[in-house]
Amino acid sequence: MNRFGLITHTAPIVHLITLIVLAALLMAGLAGTEFALSRYLANAIGQLAAFAVLAISLDLIWGYLGILSLGHGLFFALGGYLMAMYLLKHSFEITGTVPDFLQFMGWKEFPFYWDGFEFFPYALAAAVVMTTLISGLFGYVSFRSRVGGVYFAIITQALVYVAMLLMFRNDTGFGGNNGMTGFTVLFGWPMGTSGMITALAVASLLVLAGVLAGCNGLVKSRFGALMLATRDDETRLRTMGYETLRLKLIVWCLSALIAMLAGMLYVPQVGIINPRVLSPELSLEIAVWVAIGGRGHLVGAVIGALLVNAVKFWLSFAAPEIWPFILSGLIVLVVLVFPNGLMDLAKFKLVRPMGPKRLASDMGEARP
Amino acid sequence: MNLTRLTAVLAGLLAALLLAPSARAQALDRAGLIANLCGNASAMGEAASVLTGLAMSGDAADRAFAVPLARAVIDRKLACDDAGAVLTENGLDAVTRQPRAAAGEPLTPVLSLKNRATYEQVDAALALRAAPEASQRAAALKTLERRPALIPEGLLEAAAAAEPDAGLKGEIETLAQTAALTAADPAARIRALARIADNPSRRALTQVSALTADPAYAASPEFRAAVDDATVRIGRGIAVGDVLATAYNGLSFASILFMAAIGLAIIFGLMGVINLAQGELIMIGAYVTWLVQQGLRVVAPSLLDWYLVLAIPVAFFVTAAIGIALEASLLRHLYKRPLMSLLATWAVSLFLMNLVRVVFGTQNLQFETPFYVTGGVPVIGDFIFTWNRMFAILFAVVTLALTWGLVRRTPFGLNIRAVTQNRDMAACIGIPTRRVDMMAFGLGSGLAGLAGLALSPIYSVNPQMGQNFIIDAFMVVVLGGVGTIAGTVVAALGIGQINVLIEPLWGAVAAKVIVLLMIIAFLQWRPEGLFAVKGRRK
Repeated sequence: MNRFGLITHTAPIVHLITLIVLAALLMAGLAGTEFALSRYLANAIGQLAAFAVLAISLDLIWGYLGILSLGHGLFFALGGYLMAMYLLKHSFEITGTVPDFLQFMGWKEFPFYWDGFEFFPYALAAAVVMTTLISGLFGYVSFRSRVGGVYFAIITQALVYVAMLLMFRNDTGFGGNNGMTGFTVLFGWPMGTSGMITALAVASLLVLAGVLAGCNGLVKSRFGALMLATRDDETRLRTMGYETLRLKLIVWCLSALIAMLAGMLYVPQVGIINPRVLSPELSLEIAVWVAIGGRGHLVGAVIGALLVNAVKFWLSFAAPEIWPFILSGLIVLVVLVFPNGLMDLAKFKLVRPMGPKRLASDMGEARP
Repeated sequence: MNLTRLTAVLAGLLAALLLAPSARAQALDRAGLIANLCGNASAMGEAASVLTGLAMSGDAADRAFAVPLARAVIDRKLACDDAGAVLTENGLDAVTRQPRAAAGEPLTPVLSLKNRATYEQVDAALALRAAPEASQRAAALKTLERRPALIPEGLLEAAAAAEPDAGLKGEIETLAQTAALTAADPAARIRALARIADNPSRRALTQVSALTADPAYAASPEFRAAVDDATVRIGRGIAVGDVLATAYNGLSFASILFMAAIGLAIIFGLMGVINLAQGELIMIGAYVTWLVQQGLRVVAPSLLDWYLVLAIPVAFFVTAAIGIALEASLLRHLYKRPLMSLLATWAVSLFLMNLVRVVFGTQNLQFETPFYVTGGVPVIGDFIFTWNRMFAILFAVVTLALTWGLVRRTPFGLNIRAVTQNRDMAACIGIPTRRVDMMAFGLGSGLAGLAGLALSPIYSVNPQMGQNFIIDAFMVVVLGGVGTIAGTVVAALGIGQINVLIEPLWGAVAAKVIVLLMIIAFLQWRPEGLFAVKGRRK
């Protein structure tokens, strides 16, 4: 729609998508040769790609719709848990080893609701249906009563917190506080080999590129224009006769599905899932990635997720104690000095904290 | 002291009085008693019953007089002569307790086999009532325990009432129940049942329901009726106690929630900012309380017990200062961006939590327990009115009253309300809104510090403690509505009671899930919370 803005606006994202696809192809091409990345590095790239997908999912509703969710870890975990169920059941079919958590509970066989999870299509369908149901129901009741802004953020945080408490229980049949681990087979191939690690990383990069392209298409479309309009003045849009409830609900469910996808990519690469992915801290951290990268810019969300997590990966070896201090310092810096995150840096637009123009860049938050 | 217990004791005393009229009706005939001790077997039995009466009632002087006698008879240290008797242990006259030598040929009374057991029992009974050392009384209790059926009715109740040592008192009471229930006399057993039913508890219920297997239960209709009646009464007492205990626990949890949420509610109402660092301010309030305690230990150990009171202003002002600094440096720039203020306050929370972790370590802090938050009063059933919970409740009530007074009755409160209702209009009529914001943020933070203080006698204090309350506190604010004190009170009471009600049925996690679902459902009906301030929807 934006014929003149097309070149200037889409250039960075086209570059980024090309870069990601090239990186994926390069990794795939070099696999097995002496130039191949180390297993650790390949694995880290794959995990970072999964986090970038997660950041995009939050940017879609926060950056483009002005709705902050502090509970996106819920959908990430949903995808992760259902993927883990598939992996465990599938590994059990092939190798016959009973998962640890079943032995721990003294159970002889899988609970009935694990039936069918040895088929990946079933697990994927279950994940999609569950995510759509939960996000749809929660989104419907919230948006219908026009719960928004801080209220919505707080309630989503409570939601993910409650889900964490629920999953910490051992009797739910999902591994309890130890979570699920011990995945050995994926699609019939043994896991943990460098080939599998590279394949997963490449797949994650390709999914990231696909999600980026898809979301870019969405936000540049007429629908995307409506999203921005809802963010900036929902009342006016409603007065003009647009049904914003449906629009918000669609974007919200889509965002949840992308977060679920990220979870499904993430779990086979870390080899474990436990209730800690449901902790409110992780969900808040996703918002921090997006804020640091720049809300309302898909490129920003990806770069934010990559940067913050790369620093975190590195510091968790070098100096785990100081990571929280660095993270809080980063947040304060972004919040006070660069309200649009790295996007401000990219444009060399250093904003004074109290500047009168600040409001213009505060997308979707003009009203308390 | 509660009434049921008191009546039980009185009933015990009354029974003792009725059973031993000779001991009480007139002053003790000391010479007659000694003469009986020196007499034949039946006279000695009579003397034993007089001594038993003394153990149960009688005045303290008589009891002190009687204490050495039974032991002397058992150990054959009583020399009977023409002028009465002499305690050979120390050469004192048995009646006057003046030193004298035995006159003529002293005879030592010999206990019959039956009387020996009685005298052992009498000696233990006297020791239990009159021995000065707790260990001696405990030993006497052990002796009595061997033959519960022989313990005179009412003795243990009287002993328990006078016992200063709490642990020993509990043991005496347990034995009293067992003794009364195994008494030989059916009438005594029925009376004992009635007494036990006066003090319902799960232990009593086990004791009484065990009696249905007793032969007397099948044989005697009166006994059966008494047992059934006691079971019903105890069951009712336990039920009442459980209801009261639930309500009391709910109330104390609600006070904690209220303390944690009231600061949040004021800040949220005024500025539309949810302070995610509120939990950490609570934690800092608890740490300041601990520091005050440690300071007092060094500076003024005599005041150590009062650290909870002395820490009140310190906790309030330290956290208020942190809050004001936070407002002035960070949140001031974010009023138009409430979602960003969520992230900013989370950053502060992360920073404070890790700072405390680095400085103090992750272990739980050790707090002294002052006498005014120690123990409690058993009321009915298994409900104990504990002082530490009462402290939290009273603290919340006082805080509520002061906050209400501040917001409703002072110029500062008037400003807060004006800015909450309409910021622009308040600014137009000259209210310094920025200053009000800063002071109100300080107030809200100070209240969080007080919450930390109130928590410290009940919960464990560590760097993560704030996380446990903060989400519940948010729910209180969301449910109660923006910036109303009444809404916060009602929501805290509701959430506290519902949590405590559901917890025993399905567990703590289910309670949290159900509360959250109820809040989401409730917001369908009233999206602005319980007590929304009337006005334009922003």
